[in-house]
Parts: sequence; structure tokens; C-alpha cells
Amino acid sequence: MGKITGFMEFSRLSEESLPVANRLKNYREFVLHLNDEQAQTQGARCMDCGIPFCSSGCPVNNIIPDWNDLVYRGNWQQALEVLHSTNNFPEFTSRICPAPCEAACVLNINEVAVGIKSIEHAIIDKGGENGWVVPQPPKTKTGKKVAVIGSGPAGLAAAQQLARAGHDAVVFEKNSRIGGLLRYGIPDFKLDKRLIDWRMAQLRAEGVEFRTGVFVGKEAPGAGVANDAQKTVAPKELLKNFDAVILAGGSEQPRDLPVPGRELAGVYYALEFLIPQNKEVAGDGKNPISAKGKHVVVIGGGDTGSDCVGTSNRHGAASVTQFEVMPRPPEQENKPLTWPNWPMKLRTSSSHEEGCARDWSVATKEFIGKGGKVTGLKAVRLEWKDGRMQEIPGSEFEIKADLVLLAMGFTNPLQAVLDAFGVAKDARGNARATTDGAGCYRTSVDKVFAAGDMRRGQSLVVWAIREGRQAARAVDEYLMGSSLLPR
Amino acid sequence: MSKMGISTYQSYCGAQIFEAIGLNAGFVEKYFTGTATRIEGIGLAEIAGEAALVHHKAFGDDPVLANALDAGGEYAWRTRGEEHLWTPESIAKLQSATRTNNFATYKEYAKLINEQGQRTKTLRGLFEIRPAGAPVPLDEVEPAKEIVRRFATGAMSLGSISTEAHTTLAIAMNRIGSKSNTGEGGEDPARFKAIKGGEMLSEIIGKNRIASDRELKAGDSLRSRIKQVAAGRFGVTAEYLANADQIQIKMAQGAKPGEGGQLPGHKVSEYIARLRFSVPGVGLISPPPHHDIYSIEDLAQLIHDMKNANPSASISVKLVSEVGVGTVAAGVSKAKADHIVISGFDGGTGASPLSSIKHAGAPWELGLSETQQTLVLNRLRGRVGLQVDGQLKTGRDVLIGALLGADEFGFATAPLVVEGCIMMRKCHLNTCPVGVATQDPELRKKFSGQPEHVVNYFFFVAEELREYMAQMGARKVDELIGRSDLLDTRKGIAHWKARGLDFSRIFYQPAVPPGVARLHAETQDHELGKALDNKLIAKARPALDNKKPVTIESAIGNVNRTVGTMLSHEVAKRYGQAGLPDDTLTVKFKGAAGQSFGAFLARGITFELSGECNDYVGKGLCGGRIVVSPPKESRIAAEDNIIVGNTVLYGATSGEAYFRGVAGERFAVRNSGAVAVVEGLGDHGCEYMTGGMVVVLGRTGRNFAAGMSGGVAYVLDEDGDFEMRCNMAMVALEPVPEEVAALDGADVEPEGHGRVHFNHLGKADAVALRGKIEKHLRYTGSARAQLILDNWARYLPKFVKVMPTDYRRALQEIAEQQARQKEAE
Repeated sequence: MGKITGFMEFSRLSEESLPVANRLKNYREFVLHLNDEQAQTQGARCMDCGIPFCSSGCPVNNIIPDWNDLVYRGNWQQALEVLHSTNNFPEFTSRICPAPCEAACVLNINEVAVGIKSIEHAIIDKGGENGWVVPQPPKTKTGKKVAVIGSGPAGLAAAQQLARAGHDAVVFEKNSRIGGLLRYGIPDFKLDKRLIDWRMAQLRAEGVEFRTGVFVGKEAPGAGVANDAQKTVAPKELLKNFDAVILAGGSEQPRDLPVPGRELAGVYYALEFLIPQNKEVAGDGKNPISAKGKHVVVIGGGDTGSDCVGTSNRHGAASVTQFEVMPRPPEQENKPLTWPNWPMKLRTSSSHEEGCARDWSVATKEFIGKGGKVTGLKAVRLEWKDGRMQEIPGSEFEIKADLVLLAMGFTNPLQAVLDAFGVAKDARGNARATTDGAGCYRTSVDKVFAAGDMRRGQSLVVWAIREGRQAARAVDEYLMGSSLLPR
Repeated sequence: MSKMGISTYQSYCGAQIFEAIGLNAGFVEKYFTGTATRIEGIGLAEIAGEAALVHHKAFGDDPVLANALDAGGEYAWRTRGEEHLWTPESIAKLQSATRTNNFATYKEYAKLINEQGQRTKTLRGLFEIRPAGAPVPLDEVEPAKEIVRRFATGAMSLGSISTEAHTTLAIAMNRIGSKSNTGEGGEDPARFKAIKGGEMLSEIIGKNRIASDRELKAGDSLRSRIKQVAAGRFGVTAEYLANADQIQIKMAQGAKPGEGGQLPGHKVSEYIARLRFSVPGVGLISPPPHHDIYSIEDLAQLIHDMKNANPSASISVKLVSEVGVGTVAAGVSKAKADHIVISGFDGGTGASPLSSIKHAGAPWELGLSETQQTLVLNRLRGRVGLQVDGQLKTGRDVLIGALLGADEFGFATAPLVVEGCIMMRKCHLNTCPVGVATQDPELRKKFSGQPEHVVNYFFFVAEELREYMAQMGARKVDELIGRSDLLDTRKGIAHWKARGLDFSRIFYQPAVPPGVARLHAETQDHELGKALDNKLIAKARPALDNKKPVTIESAIGNVNRTVGTMLSHEVAKRYGQAGLPDDTLTVKFKGAAGQSFGAFLARGITFELSGECNDYVGKGLCGGRIVVSPPKESRIAAEDNIIVGNTVLYGATSGEAYFRGVAGERFAVRNSGAVAVVEGLGDHGCEYMTGGMVVVLGRTGRNFAAGMSGGVAYVLDEDGDFEMRCNMAMVALEPVPEEVAALDGADVEPEGHGRVHFNHLGKADAVALRGKIEKHLRYTGSARAQLILDNWARYLPKFVKVMPTDYRRALQEIAEQQARQKEAE
């Protein structure tokens, strides 16, 4: 259990980042993982709680106290094994997870939480460097074929689990590269795409087949959704050739802002900007949208908004402003009332540090433009009372903008895909399926399962991994009658 | 075996100390013949099935188990491990509900606990409740503020939990007219004071003793209404007992029936040690056997002693749920206890040794129903209040407790969780990060519990209970006590191991005529009116009221039990621990005294007995002086004959005793500050002693100084074979140094009881010893003392000093600390 008194002796050491000036010059990762000694000391801070709230706060239920202890004792390889036992892709989560585990850490009640994510980062990077991550092909094959639609974290996790259970897993991806939003949504400076390729190699060796550039469904998706499919496959055909199908296509439909002037050039969905950027970095052609020298306004204060801020700054924007409709959250949460849950508090991302004006309780009324191009927007300040917003009379203002990026979340999965399969949907337009008990993750259509954002709506990568794993188990049970795959 | 309180292999064999829970009678009869099993359950087929299941897991292809063992999760919660009732979710909801006073959130918490579904964590989780009649409107149900009076917090000592956590519980319980419990660690007399309002906690307890301060309100009280008396007798003084509303004699602890309290050394701070009259840094263990209880008659005697020590307090006896507890409870009821606690097995786990957390003790449902049935059947139930405890968490738990026969309800873990406990299960390591179960001042600063939250919790529990009562058509809790006919087995329990369970013996109601009490309805007659003390108190009025010297002469006989205790209570009530000035009140007795002569005798009182004594002389002595010598006309050789019985000076905290003659067994066990001179001893002398001084002018029995961690003993070892009879595990023997360094000079006075005496470190040994023997001579006229003093140079080298090694370490540490302080100044 770490060091019994470690939490009293050592303070938290956060990971170092390269200076802003350096990192703005390129799209490379800039967060440095802890060295061995630092990670061991941080592991010593873990208290090995009788009830590890971290573990229940973590969507994949990482057995955090155990690997903290193993790192503290220098038993890295075993730590990696424990980490992998609950999480297929720690290289992703250790970089881009907001770490609800740390919010739930018992030390977070009245101290600074254990640096769980930084320890995870150190473990998986060390495992990568030392070649400890090797394929685990199944001993025997079942001869069952499973199609996984979508190659985001849910699809990849499901495919890996299915392959390890001996099934032939085939991943269908409409884009030319594997990874979904990991690949195309998240900028390289937050997640080095080589990590996806590295993990894909393992999946391939375990028997997962990837079919890229194949769209499963009928109608092609609209703007804001990445799609370079060369080929379309009808669901019917898939159902004929496979014993089961998992829908793991994510929640891709971006939320629009239908105000006057929305049609102006220069107003884009965030992903219309971010996806080509990721392609550009990957060498797949230039991003048609540039923020260079422009006044950029990002609407939406979430992670995608942050990614727009960071990318705009790397382009060399003249200014970056970010609006959020919700009120400014408190700097410090009221821990006795929020712990162990994820608290509402002011979060400043690394992209914010790189330069950005932030404003809260702001609603956009109109985009204004000249010659069909956006030049600014009209906005109004809001007052929030009992969860309802009200415009403050007379608070209207205008702001200059040459590029407006809408980062207001995603409303639901592509309806066309769900409709093509004919699965029942919930009120929010997600594929309907439960997560527990008999028949979990199964949609209303025989043989068809759903997992990740396509089932739960937009969420975290770590939730997608959880659902992918659990859906794989459900499929395994469905095909074989029982399953040894962990949930 | 020691876990079960068994010391020898012979007592273990065939002792039938196990109880089967959830195994059917046919199976038990065949393979564990004679073992009790009360709720039936699975048989050989299911057991074999489970074994096969485990085997399959071990040798199957489960990828999770390929390189690692099963997550387990018995002792620490694990996502895919053993189910628990305290989960991240239930703890978070309870804390949030009580901090924001949100009943709706509390009900979400209660739902998690009450509706266990397939998790089947407790017996009560398998029960269903039937209505008593048509539903009644909620506002006709007994108000919550009445119900909470039935609630008490569990016996968690100051020591196991921090001063902050302990006082918060006391404040909360006193605010709502419920009871908090000292636990077995004594209580700081500063906490008995009335609060005017506006004082800070630290002003009352001491600035350097509170790490997380709070302002107190007018009418608050830090006093725990229940004072526990456990085998260790830590801090049990006349003043402590005088400040009780209830005195709880702990016979065992539900979670670890054979073990009892264990406080590791690193949690014994200077403050804790002072309150317990023990040595800082030395671990304290109080196993169940009380050294003054070897039979039910002895327990009756202790109950009588306690009643004398505080006639207005009710005397409670804490028992644990086990097969046969009903019979014990019947005995306890006849032994005149006013109150009985039935404690279940699943409490107190954080500080329990790992091996006791599981599979030790039994669920309270079993013990409570047996107790209720036995007491009702024998028409003893009305005489006692019956309390149940052991992981009570919700109003439903309370309801089931009431239906099975409880009048009152004890809660421990749940209010601790409300105070901030997050079930670290590190209570034994002193590293509790929320300042609850630690003595580390740095960690105690982080304590954030509030009495208001605890109050909210108990009202939530009461409100939840009221809702149940309204639904089932009961207006008063009294209507429900013992109504086990309203319980039934829950339908549709699908767990394969729940098959075959049969609770009919738990739900059984004995067939007795309607008039027979099934709840607490009478008061016990303790026969205090007959006590000799009434006469002594009357005669001692000038001393009690005005501190005027009084001398009383009285005859005494062996029917006079517990003489001097009620008298001492009168002193303690008025003057607290300080008592009266020395020699204010002298009582000269003639005759053969009964049990517990001079028990808890207070400072300023001297008992001189010309005659002899039964057992328990000077039990819990606190400041008084007891002198016993044979009648002048007696021609026996005093030093060769027994003059006082067994278990003399047990749990004495201060005072002096001089016995001209030999004492029985277990002399000065758990003495923590009294000074005694005696002319010979039986076996087990000075066992578990933590302070004070014992001078033995003759032979001792075997096993002297076993578990002795403080104080000193000087034994005259004329034959040079004392070492053979001394238990050397914790002590060192050394000759009394001859270079009588008159450096420090004076005698060692017993003042500062329990505190560490510098003089014990060697320099003034001979002076101290001689002083004591001189006093012995003066008080008793001992021929033995005269002989030794007359030939001092010859006898002194024959004295052996028994010095606990822990005590020496503590003394050295204190000396070093003082030296450092001096240097700093």
C-alpha cells in the first residue's frame, strides 16, 4: 500500500509542460511524463484506502491503489499488467482523460489528490519504451465473426476484447485512418497519433481486421462530420456476413447555432476546423481553414472549444476569444458537498494557458458579415436564476470576428446510421440499450449491439472504453452462452 | 484460540464455540455434530457446488485470473470484488445528505442500504415487514425528537478516535437528548463542566490538545452520558462514574468477541495515556475477561459496585450476539442490571485485527431474538432496557431491531461516516486522513465533522422510521417492540445460496399470557437502602459538606458489600477527583468485611479495618487509603496468613493500601497509580499494571508482573528465587541500588497518579521503599515491617525492583524531552 505515511511526507508533483512559446511552434505533445523516481514518490502518496473512491470514480474502475503501490515498489511491469486489466488504452486516458479518479481521491477531501493520471502516464510510457506491451492473441478461435462499426475508443476496445476471446473482429471505419475522434478530433499536441498506430499494431497481431474508407449505412453524413468513405456497405449485408454487430460510431452530429448570419463564410463547426488540421499534421493535405492573423471566436467552453483555442493559437491567430453560455464556475469547489463527485469548477486547460480571452454567461444573437463573410457577432449577457437563463436587457455587445468556431457539443449519433439498422432510439436520439443485467448493450434489432457515445451520447474517452469492453462481453455471452471477459 | 478467549488447548477441544450460520441442520449434524445452526440454509450439494466453482475459476481460462489472484475485496472495497453496504456511493450520499440537511438524499442512501436486492448482505436484508394494521397519518406517529432519545452512539474510546471526533459525537448526542458513549478510555473531567456558550473547545480541553477547534453553544455538553467500564478499567474513577447517566460494563465486543479493545502504542499520546493512567507509547489491550468477574455472581457484584458508585445511573451490561446469549441475558437481568446491550458482529471493523473482521461474532438479529425470547419467557424482560447495536444504518434497521425486541439502538460507524470517516480501514495505523481515527495533531487538523450533521443524521433515521410506522399502522415505537410476528422472509430471493433459509426461530414469539412484559417496564431493586454507606454518609455530613474532620467507628460484617463506594460517590459528586483533604474522614471498622471493601474509595477518606476482608478490596481505589490489619488480640502470624481476598486493588488509579498480611491472587491487576504494601501475594500479582507502586514484603505467587507496562514493584526476595515466579516478558529485574542517593530526598507521594514518576528511574529507590515500609509500620503496626527496618542494611539488598521495559523507555523519553525543553528555554 504505497507508503503508509507517504501522503504526509510528499507533496503532489504535477507533470511538467514545455514553455508556451516553444510548444506553440508545432503540434507535438508538450507534457513530460514523470521520471521513475518522481512517479515512485507520487505512488507513495496513495493511502490504499479501505474504500478506494478513485476506483469507483473511474469509469473503467482502474484498480488504482494496486498500481500505485506497485509503482512505489518499483514493480513497473506488474503495475502495467494491473493497469491493462481494466483499461485497454492507458496511453490515451493518461493523456486526455479529465481524471474523475482524482476528483474522487480521498486525499482530495482536504489535500491535493494523488497524481493518478501522471502515474498512469509514467506506467504506460515506460511499458511502451520497454516493449512490455505485446499482443495477446487468443489460444483458440471461435470461428464467430463480429463487425464493429466505428474505430473510436469504444470500437477499438470492443474489437480488442472480442479478438482476445477468439472471435474474428472486423472494424469498419468510414475515414481513411483508424481512431475516430481520437484521430481526428483531438489535436496532436494533446495526443500523439503515433500512439494510435502503435496500439493498432497490437490489435492487428491479435487478429483484429481494419477496413477503412467504408461507410456503413445509407446516406452520407453532412458538414462537421469527418467522412472520406470510398465505399458504402448496407447494414443488411453486414448482418448476413457477421454473427453480431456492435454500433460504436460515436455521437458525431454537432450542435448548431441557428441565429441570423449562420450561413456566412467563416462560421464553422469546430470539427470542420479540427479534422482537416489533424489530417494536415498527418500529411494528408492542407487545412482549408486558417486562423492565421484572424480574430477567432470560439463558442462553447468545453474540451473541443479548448482544442479550437490551442489550434488557432498554433495557426497564429490575431486574437482568440471563447464564449460560454453557462455562468463562470467557482475557482474552488465546495469540497464537503462535491467530493467524491466531479465538481463544477473553473478549469483552465493547457490551451487556455497559451492565450485566450474567456467570457461566461454570453449568448450569441447574430453573426454579422460583409460580402458573405463573417466580420463579427452580436451577443448578449445572461443572468442565471434557478437554472434558467435570462438575457440582461441592454447588455448587448458586438465583437470582431473573422473566424467563428462552434464547439457546443454533439447532439446525437448520426441518425442515418441508426435508422439504416432500424434500431430503436432513446429520447435523445441515441441507440437504446441497457448497460446491466441480461440483454445489456443489445439494441432492439437481433444481433446488433451498441456501445460508447452511440449508445450514451457524447462523453469521455474513458466511458467509451468501458462500454466497448462491456459490450464485447455481452456479445461474447450472446455468441458463446457465457463469457470470461471482464466487465 | 486466543481470539476466542481460550488459553489452553484442552479448553478448545470439544468446546463447541462455533456457530453455523446458513447451513442446514442435516449437514451440520453429520459433519459438525452438536454445532448450533439456527436459520438452516445450504447443505452438502451447494457446498460442493461452490467448491467446484472456485476450482473452475482457479483452473479455467479466465484472463483476469491468469496472472493475478481474484480481486477479493473482503477487507478493502474493490469494484469487482465482494459486495459491501458501505460503498463509495452510500458513503457519499450519507455525507452529502447530512451536510446539506437533505432528507431526499438521505432516502437515496437508505434505499442503497435497505434494498439489498440480490446482494443479500445482512439477515435483515432478507426480511419483509408486515403491517400491524391500517396505515395511520404520519403526523399521528410519535415525533422524531422522542424517537431519537432511544439512540446512542457506540463505545468508541477517545484513543481509538480523536478528541475532535469524540467530542463532536458527545455534543451532538447531548443536543438531542440521546446518549454518547465514552468507550473504554476514560473521560477528561474537564468535559463534565457546564458550557455557558461561546467558549472554544480548546479552552475546555486544553489549547495544545485540540487540533481542530470549534465554538460551543449555550447548553452544550461534552460529557458522554454513557460511561463504559471495560476489563482494562482505563480511567475508571469515582468521579468518572459519578458523571454517568448509564454505566456500561463491557463483557465483550460484538465485532471481536474474544478480543476486546486494542489500542496500538503509536496512538497512545500523552493525553490518552493521562486519561487512561497509562504510559505514552505503550499499546493497550483490554481483553474481555474482567479480573473481577469469574461467574455471574461476580458480575452481580460488579453491577452492585457500579450502582453504589452512582445510584442514579442505570447499569448496563454489554453482551454479544452468540448462541446462548439469551441465558446469559437472563442471568444478567437477575443480577440486577438495568440495561442490556446485544452487540452484533459487524461493527468496529476498522480497528479490528484483519483476522477478526470476518467470521468472528454473529449477527445481532440472532442474539437479539434469542435474548428477547428468553427474557419474555422467563418474565425478566420488563426489568431491563434492551439495546441493540452492530452496523445499524437506517430507520429500517431500527424498525427490525424494535420488532425483534430492542428498546434502544446503538450506532457507531454511521455517525462516524457522518463526521467524515470514509472507511479507510487504517484506524490501527494512526494515519486516518480525515482526522477521525488518529491522534496525530497534523491529521486531526483536517477533521471537519460537525455536531449539526450528526444531529441531522439521527433525525433522518427517526423520520425514516416514522414513515415506516405510518405505513404499517403504528403510532408509538413501544407498540412495535417485540412484534416479531410482523416479520417474514422476503419473497423472491434468487441467490442460490439463500435457498433453504428458515427464519421461523428468529420470528418466534414465546407463548406467554398477555400481561407479561415484552419491553422495558419495571425498575430493578438494587437494595441500596440496606447499605452500610447510608449510615456512614449521614455521620460524615460535616466532612462532606464542610470538609471538617470526622472519625466514625463502625462494626462490619460480610453482608456489608461495597462499603465506602456510595460515600465516595458523595465526595466525587461534590469535589471531583480532588476529593477531600487528606485524613478528613476516617472510618474505623471492626469485623470481617464483605466483597468490594473500599471500592472506588475517594481521596480524603481513610478506612482502617481491624479484621479481614473478602475479595475486591480497594477495587478502583481513587485517592483513599485502606489499612487492614488483624485484630490486636489475634495471635496468628500476620505475615503468614491471608488477610485480604482475591483481586485486590483491581483498576486502582490512586490512593494507598497497607495490608498486614498476605493477599490472594491477582493483586493490583491493572493498578495505574495506587501505592500498596502487602506481606505476600498469590498468583498473577501486578498483572497489566501501568502505574503506581507495589511493595511485597514476602513471597509472591506465579506469573508476577505479566503484561506489566508501567509502575514499579519492589519484592523482598529472601530465597533468591523470585525470578522463577516472575513473568519476564515485559519487565526487567534489578537490585535496589544501595547508594541511597539522598539526592532527590523526599518520599514518592502518590500524587500525580498515573503520571510517570521520575523517581522510578533508580536514584531514590531505596528512599522511596523505606518510606513506604515506614508508613506500613505506622498504619498497621506490622512486625514484618519492624523487622525489616530494624535490619535495613541486611534486607535492602534482598529487594528486587521490577521495572517494565516500556516504562523505562517512556521515562527516558520524557526526561530527554524535558531536558530539551530546558535547553530551549
